[in-house]
Amino acid sequence: MQQQLLNAISIGSIYALFAVGYTLVFGVLDILNLAHSAVFMLGAAVTYSMVVNHGQSFWVAAALGLAIAAVMGLVIEHVCLRPLRRRNAPPIAALISTIGLALIIVAAVEQGRPEHPYLAWLWVDGANSVSFPISALPNPTWHVAGLTLEAAKVAVIPISVALMLVLGYVIRYTQIGRGLRAVAENPRAARLMGLDVDRMISLTLVISSALGGLAGIMFGLAQTDISPYIGRDNVEVKGLAVIVLGGMGSIPGAVAGGYLLGLIEIVALLLFGSNVRAGVAFAALFLMLVLRPQGLFGSSLSEKV
Amino acid sequence: MLLRLDNVQRHFGGVRAVDGVSLEVEKGSIQGLIGPNGAGKTTLVNVITGYVPAESGRAFIESDDLTGLPSHRIAALGIARTFQNIRLFKDLTALDNVIVGMHTRRADDTLAQLGTLPVFRRDQRTRLSEARQLMETVGLDPGAVAKRAAGTLPYGDQRRLEIARALALRPRLLILDEPAAGMNPSEKHGMRVLIERLNEQGLTILLIDHDMHLVMGVCKRVAVLNFGRKIADGTPAEVSTDASVIKAYLGTGGEREVASAPGAAGLNEVEEEVVKAAAEQTPTAAEPESAILEVRDLSVSYGAVNAVRGASLRVAEGEVVALIGANGAGKSTILNTLSGVIRPRSGTATFDGLDLTTANPSTIVRRGLVQVPEGREILARQTVLENLELATWGSRGDGAGTRARIEAVMKRFPILGERRAMKAATLSGGEQQMLALARGLLAKPRLLLLDEPSLGLAPQMVDEVFAAIEEIHREGTTILLVEQNALRALEIADRAYVIETGTILLTGSGDELLHNPAVRRAYLGG
Amino acid sequence: MDFLIQLFTDPYAFYNSHTLLIAQIGINSILAASMFAVLYSGQLSLAAPGFMAIGAYTAVLMSLYLHTPLALNFLAGTLFAGVTGLAVGLPVLRLRGVFLAIATIGFIEALRLGVILNFPIKVNGEPITGGGLGLKNPDADPLGGINMVLIALAVVIFLMWRLTKGRLGHAWSAIRQDELAALSQGINVARYKMFAFVLSALLAGFAGALETNLNFFVDPNEYGVPRTVQILTFAVLGGTGNIFGPVVGSLFLTSLPELARGAKDYRDILSGVILIAVIVFRPQGIVGRGGLAIIRPRWWPQRQSRAAAPG
Repeated sequence: MQQQLLNAISIGSIYALFAVGYTLVFGVLDILNLAHSAVFMLGAAVTYSMVVNHGQSFWVAAALGLAIAAVMGLVIEHVCLRPLRRRNAPPIAALISTIGLALIIVAAVEQGRPEHPYLAWLWVDGANSVSFPISALPNPTWHVAGLTLEAAKVAVIPISVALMLVLGYVIRYTQIGRGLRAVAENPRAARLMGLDVDRMISLTLVISSALGGLAGIMFGLAQTDISPYIGRDNVEVKGLAVIVLGGMGSIPGAVAGGYLLGLIEIVALLLFGSNVRAGVAFAALFLMLVLRPQGLFGSSLSEKV
Repeated sequence: MLLRLDNVQRHFGGVRAVDGVSLEVEKGSIQGLIGPNGAGKTTLVNVITGYVPAESGRAFIESDDLTGLPSHRIAALGIARTFQNIRLFKDLTALDNVIVGMHTRRADDTLAQLGTLPVFRRDQRTRLSEARQLMETVGLDPGAVAKRAAGTLPYGDQRRLEIARALALRPRLLILDEPAAGMNPSEKHGMRVLIERLNEQGLTILLIDHDMHLVMGVCKRVAVLNFGRKIADGTPAEVSTDASVIKAYLGTGGEREVASAPGAAGLNEVEEEVVKAAAEQTPTAAEPESAILEVRDLSVSYGAVNAVRGASLRVAEGEVVALIGANGAGKSTILNTLSGVIRPRSGTATFDGLDLTTANPSTIVRRGLVQVPEGREILARQTVLENLELATWGSRGDGAGTRARIEAVMKRFPILGERRAMKAATLSGGEQQMLALARGLLAKPRLLLLDEPSLGLAPQMVDEVFAAIEEIHREGTTILLVEQNALRALEIADRAYVIETGTILLTGSGDELLHNPAVRRAYLGG
Repeated sequence: MDFLIQLFTDPYAFYNSHTLLIAQIGINSILAASMFAVLYSGQLSLAAPGFMAIGAYTAVLMSLYLHTPLALNFLAGTLFAGVTGLAVGLPVLRLRGVFLAIATIGFIEALRLGVILNFPIKVNGEPITGGGLGLKNPDADPLGGINMVLIALAVVIFLMWRLTKGRLGHAWSAIRQDELAALSQGINVARYKMFAFVLSALLAGFAGALETNLNFFVDPNEYGVPRTVQILTFAVLGGTGNIFGPVVGSLFLTSLPELARGAKDYRDILSGVILIAVIVFRPQGIVGRGGLAIIRPRWWPQRQSRAAAPG
């Protein structure tokens, strides 16, 4: 039972880390970045590839995975978002263009084969699911109070918490954080106050994607399951559930929502068996939207006439 | 009585937006509704139209009880409205906007659509001709305007179109929410003529506006709201001399506005006069030799619209220069081009050697050209202090100095000091304008661009804002002021430029233009 | 290229050898029409695959267990989807913009994972819906069903085209642009939105039922997020200014694998590129004039979670 609870917290940390990136972009840009789950997958895929196909140590591989994820943030901004901002496109357009990018990223990884001219460096296992070889991972294990603590599974907890505290501090108390909040609220005013809005937005995407990529790496580590579909199957829609539960645009909400979902899933698993587990998240999502659309931490503002 | 409101109450999160208001609107009359921003006028209208339910109290239109009905039913009962912020269906054509407006009177032809085409065609023709007629009634030319997307029409035409759409409902009561906002007196005169004509044809009108000329000149009775309560209700003469009304709302400037006579000339005549005056003029206040801002032959366009055509102006250090003209004349476009937010098609603009047409907006701000934008654009969800702190973004690393400057600015605007920990959204319109000014000052401006500081403010607040502007000027800041409230602008300006449809027509000292007959007629109401 | 050549030189033979493809195009077009109904009224509903699933499973289960005629099965499937649309639409209608999208995604995944895979009525311990393994449909008639599909498509296109011309279509356009202004002109926004939502559910349910006739197997994985993305792509590519846009979009994208044979593996990459390219460079879609640019809803949550309409 306690072991399951630990699992819930572990997976909840991953959800939270992922959702924070999601909600950060929504908060600053009012856009749902649906390429986020693809970046999640990419973090894991690149790390795995670096370890297994290129013989790198785990730490180096993880660093590279994180770097690539961060760079993807810039790609998302320059390819999907900035051209739309230039012509004042409605937010739904950005939703669609990020969907397009997600399709491309997932399909590209899917095509990875050893003999592929361009993609072999990235991924060679096609549509298959693989896992980190035990030897490659530093994975000390402890046994405490009847619980088995595997570093690979539980490391994500302190890492997530630390990152989220740092991010929270930055947003609330630093000048950069204030700048981000200004852009989130009123980009026009921010620009007239001298803020470089484009740069702020790029920064937001980089941070968000780095967090997403990191969540993917942690996922690959903990769940030992890496394939082109881990984003789509595990976090793409669940990430939506989390930010809705917590309140769109709210970082503490994303954190709370992540752990809440982890908990709900484990409870559903224990009560109803694994079949219902997946559907539970979406039922919760649906209910929250119907009863309290602004989530736990969001504020409900009604439209001004 | 056409409309009767009985002790209507509505509050939002602790604030009594409408606090026991009772009102009667006589059938066939024009009823005015005035009051400071936040007094509850728009909330009251929202209650009448059903967008917001009343907590207690009732509303009736003739014998029909409106209380508790949803918006669309109330519209179907014959209450039509226009909106403060113009809510046209922007991507539909002007004609379609009016046709959609006929919804309640149009039989549901969904099934007819699927089959008998000839019947549908005949009805369609009737609808089209009625829509065209309505457009003509409000002064639009269907031939020119019908097929254009509503969002592309000039401002004044959009306001008129919104009225045409409302009329398509064949309403018993027409509610106009600030229909003349952003218009110069000759345009306002046109709006006034329209309102009077509609009323003559038997339409009852409820008019909300901040322009005292218009309201007092056209309304049979005026009701005044303040803090959700009705503080006066009587004829224009009674209300404008009521001491509590003057204290709460009008201020001294407002009194002057009420006292002067409304503009008489038609729009085209005025334009001709102004252009003629421009041709004959020899300005005695010559443009300064050394200017820190120099704009030459600036042309800016939005797609197909030439918003600014060949505008030239100069501002010397220490001056207050005003740029006056109607909404849509290009004033804000010029300011936004100077701030680097828009790029011009041609022409030059330099500020202290910096080429504004190519520089980055953040660089421009750092050089000292700071804009306080139209509509204030403060960060409503952050506190007053946070708003001010953000303004010091450009000058980082100077912690103590920054803090000192923020303190200084809060001393100059004491209300900001008092409310430093409150969310900016809780400030009144005038206080928000002060915040915007303060924020502008904190960016260490050498030249401050003010875009419509008095827009949407009650006359009394306008007094305070202009006093603050004068003080800022006296302390040595150079100011370029854009205003459609020409009277106030010319009173404090050293020099001024008059701009119409993108071109600068006149220039002179503030005094000269104040006394220029063409300017008086066009912008000052004679 | 021989694909196109055959189309023009020998249409009859083309028809015979590509019956399945044409049928699939027809079905995808009906799905695109379902999407059109909601997008045109300003609702970003991504629920189509869910209603498809209801139509599909109902039709096949009736065929397997009740042995009722095909037409009745289809009708039942469609109606059941419509009723579900009513039930789902009521609570979600007041949600705005992206929140509605998320709620509908929640709906289809909850349906797929919660209901289809775990259906309470069981046969030999397995849910009668077949659970994760899917449902076998031995009565399918891939080649025979095509006439039905084409006739249905023609009716649907005509219906949607005429609807948009009348009072209903004008009301939908108004709602799409500005719900508040629409209310102020007497339009019962809730009712019209509900009608569009239920109509789209009916169309999707019908398409789902039709589709089962083409395959001997009903696969729950067909009714998830990738399907909804696919249908959305039809609408985006074609443009949503009128009904012909989404139909053209589905025609093009469904035939794409045939047109570019070698690029079969790259179909998804191509779809992604098309999505981005269309949205960035030609948002009004192929058919144009308004199109996606029309979906510039004023009520989209501006600046933070303005999730639902007041009241």
